Amino acid sequence: MMQTLSRAMRGLALSVAVLAAVALLDGAVHALLAQNPFGAPRAAEPEGGIVGWLLAKQSEFYRQMSATIRAAKSDGSAVWTLLAISFAYGIFHAAGPGHGKAVISSYLVANRETARRGIVLSFASALMQSLIAVLIVGICAWLLNATAKTMCGAEKAIEIASYALIAAFGARLVWVKGGGFIRALQLPRPALAMAGAHHHHDHGDHDRGGDHHHHAHEHHDHGHDHTHDHGHDPHHVHDEHCGHSHGPTPAELAGPGGWRRGLGAIFTVGIRPCSGAILVLVFALAQGLFWAGIAATFAMGLGTAITVAAIAVLAVSARGVAEKLSAARDGGGMLVMRGLEFAAAALVLLFGIGLLLGYVAAERVTCL
Amino acid sequence: MFGAAAEAHPHVWITAKSELIYAPDGTITGVRHAWTFDDMFSSYALQGIEAKTKGAYTREELAPLAQTNVESLKEYAYFTFARGDGKKQRFNEPVDYFLEYRDTALTLHFTLPLKTPFKAKELSLEVFDPTYFIDFQYADKEPVKLVGASADCKMQFQRPNDGSAAAQKLGEQNFLDGGAGNFGMMFANKILVECP
Repeated sequence: MMQTLSRAMRGLALSVAVLAAVALLDGAVHALLAQNPFGAPRAAEPEGGIVGWLLAKQSEFYRQMSATIRAAKSDGSAVWTLLAISFAYGIFHAAGPGHGKAVISSYLVANRETARRGIVLSFASALMQSLIAVLIVGICAWLLNATAKTMCGAEKAIEIASYALIAAFGARLVWVKGGGFIRALQLPRPALAMAGAHHHHDHGDHDRGGDHHHHAHEHHDHGHDHTHDHGHDPHHVHDEHCGHSHGPTPAELAGPGGWRRGLGAIFTVGIRPCSGAILVLVFALAQGLFWAGIAATFAMGLGTAITVAAIAVLAVSARGVAEKLSAARDGGGMLVMRGLEFAAAALVLLFGIGLLLGYVAAERVTCL
Repeated sequence: MFGAAAEAHPHVWITAKSELIYAPDGTITGVRHAWTFDDMFSSYALQGIEAKTKGAYTREELAPLAQTNVESLKEYAYFTFARGDGKKQRFNEPVDYFLEYRDTALTLHFTLPLKTPFKAKELSLEVFDPTYFIDFQYADKEPVKLVGASADCKMQFQRPNDGSAAAQKLGEQNFLDGGAGNFGMMFANKILVECP
């Protein structure tokens, strides 16, 4: 009991340490922002600070869009400029709130997903965001000729739905990952458990967001030579389907269930369109160049996807590093990793709740 | 991570002009704004509104939109923050509001009456969006006017971009406070009026 407790304390302490590191990083970015008096979005060169420069750039690109769409009315070649600006804007803009960076990254960390999957999820969700923006404007403005007020009502409804989805998605992750964390806590000391074993295996649950518990045994035939530790408290639920710390096998990825697993994340992130895209689309429609607006929206989405994917890959790599570091720690690593996954899952839940209650600032919908 | 607002950037640009309205006895009674929206937002706002003459919207045709505008602005306290001798002042709902369409841009005119008109040695009025979704930039010519104020009153206007000490200080304070809430304050336009 004492052992479990002390392990719990250690796991918690480490998780807190990891979160503190993230918070520090966040603080550092803010400090960087603070040093830069970038209260000059129009200034040609805000003094210092890459972040400030990025912010200034995206405002600049965005403001160029309306002029370029106007120009495209008489000069078709301006459309290429529009696409380039939109793409660049997407890259810079995705650094801002929304666009699912937090959700996708946390999901990847919580679910031990691969970088490749992170990239796919980023592109798929950005594509869906673009599609939703085109659908909203296509249906509301183009088909129904609704007013901005109606459109903003639709945007608001989608916004609330998307926050609720993030919270629900987070709650589910917490449910699944909480189990893994608790089981990790209940495992006896690895030093004892590993006595006589060849190598230690990760006992985390194998279900990446899916409910695999009932057919867990089919995972047994991974060609691994590992030793189970059955010598502990018989009352606790022991997941027999040894979790493997490597990524999903190709078969898993290719299987229908493999991709379905990511659909939740894609949908959760992709349902909320970017306000900027909606504005550009309506403006293009008013100029009689709706198609140019659609092209710009997808170019923007592509740019967004690149930034989100880069952050997702970063998150996956950071997880990998954490895993390597903790693995060196005499078996306690599993607890750290389960704790980290649980923390990532909890972050998604908190994020969703924060958005719903208005504690977390998100990109506002355009309702004036 | 949760300081997301710190990464926000504007989607709407407003070129503003404001008038401070004084009663004959020297009390300040309200603020009259004229906000011109950028052309992208202007066409967004005009979506679905029919005009008899294409491309020319009358004040009457725009009346429902003006109504929507002032109603929506309430949630954001009209982006107008007043203090009299350091004390926060509140505004009633806007009056005399209308929209004007000229050169592909919409201008929203509205007057914010103060809940309680007051006299103050030092009046400060800030106009900004705390979340910086809207960028407020005052017009180059006659950005701020005092209407009916005593000739002794001195007005000072600080733009957010002029790197004034006050704006800097606000910015630092804002980040020290954790950042998310009042990021837009760094982009505040500040009007100071001193009357003896």
